[in-house]
Amino acid sequence: MAEYKRSTMIADSPSGYCPGCLHSLATRLISDVIDELGQGDNSLNVISVGCSALNLLYWSGDYLGVAHGRAPASATGIKRTNPERLVFTYQGDGDLAAIGLAEIMSAANRGENFTVIFANNQTYGMTGGQMAPTTLIGQKTTTTIYGRDPATTGYPMKMCEILSTLEAPAYIARFALNNPKGVRDARAGIKKAFEAQLAGKGFTFVELLTNCPTNWHMTPLQTLDYMNTNTIPYFKPGVYRDRTSEEAGA
Amino acid sequence: MKQTFVFSGSGGQGIMSAGITLAQTAIAMGRHATYLPEYGPEQRGGSAKCTVVISDDPIVSPLPRRCDILITMNELSYRKFEEDLKPDGVLLANSCLVKSAEPRDDITLISAAVDDIALEVGNPKTANVILLGILIGATDVVRLDVFEESLKVKFGAKSPEVLAMNLDALSKGYALGQQYK
Amino acid sequence: MGEKRFMKGNEAIAEAAVRAGCRFFAGYPITPQNEIPEYLSWRLPEVGGSYVQGESEIASVNMVYGAAAMGTRSMTSSSGPGISLKAEGISYLAAAMLPALIVNISRGGPGLGSIQPAQSDYLQATKALGHGGFHAMVFAPASAQEAVDVVYEAWDYAERDRNPVLVLMDGCLGNIMEEVELPPMREFTDEDIPEWSLSRRNGRDYQGNITPIYTEPILEGLNAMAGEMYKAWEEDDVKVEEFLVEDAEYVVVAYGIAARVAKEAVMELRDKGFKVGLIRPITLYPFPKKSIHDLDYSRVKGIIDVEMTIPAQMHDDIAQQVMERCPIFEYGRSGGCLLDDEGVYEAIYDIVTGGGADNG
Repeated sequence: MAEYKRSTMIADSPSGYCPGCLHSLATRLISDVIDELGQGDNSLNVISVGCSALNLLYWSGDYLGVAHGRAPASATGIKRTNPERLVFTYQGDGDLAAIGLAEIMSAANRGENFTVIFANNQTYGMTGGQMAPTTLIGQKTTTTIYGRDPATTGYPMKMCEILSTLEAPAYIARFALNNPKGVRDARAGIKKAFEAQLAGKGFTFVELLTNCPTNWHMTPLQTLDYMNTNTIPYFKPGVYRDRTSEEAGA
Repeated sequence: MKQTFVFSGSGGQGIMSAGITLAQTAIAMGRHATYLPEYGPEQRGGSAKCTVVISDDPIVSPLPRRCDILITMNELSYRKFEEDLKPDGVLLANSCLVKSAEPRDDITLISAAVDDIALEVGNPKTANVILLGILIGATDVVRLDVFEESLKVKFGAKSPEVLAMNLDALSKGYALGQQYK
Repeated sequence: MGEKRFMKGNEAIAEAAVRAGCRFFAGYPITPQNEIPEYLSWRLPEVGGSYVQGESEIASVNMVYGAAAMGTRSMTSSSGPGISLKAEGISYLAAAMLPALIVNISRGGPGLGSIQPAQSDYLQATKALGHGGFHAMVFAPASAQEAVDVVYEAWDYAERDRNPVLVLMDGCLGNIMEEVELPPMREFTDEDIPEWSLSRRNGRDYQGNITPIYTEPILEGLNAMAGEMYKAWEEDDVKVEEFLVEDAEYVVVAYGIAARVAKEAVMELRDKGFKVGLIRPITLYPFPKKSIHDLDYSRVKGIIDVEMTIPAQMHDDIAQQVMERCPIFEYGRSGGCLLDDEGVYEAIYDIVTGGGADNG
């Protein structure tokens, strides 16, 4: 039976994430996989802007804080000059799917050999719960107080599906963190992405469906149910691209 | 001594390459040179102009208002830049395309059917080398033999036939230019 | 003796960067700087470096941010509109204390302005390259050779200060071909990789982190440190050419291409007996305050600010040093119309013979 212990990648200090927030779990999964792969010293976390930036306070490995939406660009500069490093970005939905859309599409299209972990909680958490590009139709936010209306705000963007239109990416997958199987699959997916990167297979993308009890105005348990009823039917978990077993550069 | 040249015409007439080659040849002779290209926004067929300053001393300003020698390869550029030629200057006009050139009484006009000669030589693209031949023949701006060396460096490796054609173009232009010396 | 070549200013900058140890470039096409990325796209791979054509100026400067964090000598180049887009990233470089070279080959502005050369970005370069009240050293070379010399040393300043450096040169100088003497290739090893960087090739075995965000008392301290650094630049790093100012009654202040054209005019006016001199800032920031402040205003009758932009943007920096001790005149061309030797000569001539308007 596996021993449950603190990951070496996370500092021994209280988390600043809200109670019940799945960012904590996502961070934990990433750090566990890094430990398992023995990549602690070699890893480099490119920390974006939003609640994801709280990792600046806890992450024990090398990290670079970057500008809002530009993590895939900065990671490109890192990985091109230091290809031996395990480089990953951790980005929220506003960061990746709104302000950083050009950067994520272009880095994926170039097949940059790093990993993007995309935390999709359908809202701007740190700024107080505004509408995100992934906010569901009808979902209430501080800038869609009657619920998101597609007539004026369009539809939630499915990043896995959008990125799957590109030739270059080696691995694209989406997992939901609101249930034990989803958590296990997510851990395996992150590991697969990191291993593929270390083998030089190219761009890897892992979307994690997360929650925001504070801004969804729900208890943590209610958010997990909401995800089952609303989020998962729209953002379908699954592996959208897997060329990790192919020869590098194929 | 300092001399200012303006080469003008339309894109594709070898204007820029003529300017660069002249400047490079001057430098090979131990003189100083600057080359300033000016393009319109078009990628093809627009106006092309470059300014070359050649001097025995280091060049202070590379932005002269007027020139000592104006080379116009077409009518449009002749009309546009004719007033920039200094008194006592030399106007070298391609008579195949510059039809309205009337000699100002304070300049020397060299009117040559550069395009026709290029066809005689065997390739319309040699027009700019003929032009430079005329220029060298008429003005002694650079030495003919040094210029021949630059042509050898430029074309020699590519193809002996192209080099021979360009040397032929150069000597035809040079002979023509000498008549105006 | 270095190696002599007849090169465009833009290409000279690119080759000098490579020889200075630049191993990462990211940029986006914009006229009149395209020869820099075009040159580096084939040249950097030859020396084991990386070139990336970014999806935008924004992405490009943030790629440089990532590469610079690894201790790699990194650069980007653009022209006015693109520098505006890079402004956020340049501010982040300053915040994260990352050395990098930014090159602005400037054109007519504002807006899309003109693709033709102009010196329209002095204020942007010296006052606010981005948000947050930071400064970068700004070098304004006046020839391809000086561009080579400045770029060759740019990362020495940037790494000393852990701060970006800007080279501001107009599109004319970027596209003029001149003879340059190239310095030798500088070689660096893994041991030269800065200790503060996120690289581990230098043997670092403890956590490294670089961030553009800080908690309150730390940020205030860093702001104060930056303020001290800017003061130190004024003491130690001002570069200026003073030409025939000792007895000058009229002093032209001009940088870059404008200074070259003005210098020729000054020489001609001297030949005719007019006591005219030239102060040419080579660093626009730190600005050569003393050169202007310490002039003998019992002799100097006027300062003439010549720039290839209208209105003159250096005016306020000059006026702060002149302190109303003499009038300040302006002459310029703008919007892609170039200065020329006769135009500048006539403008200065009119002023020294009493005909020019005082814009001070």
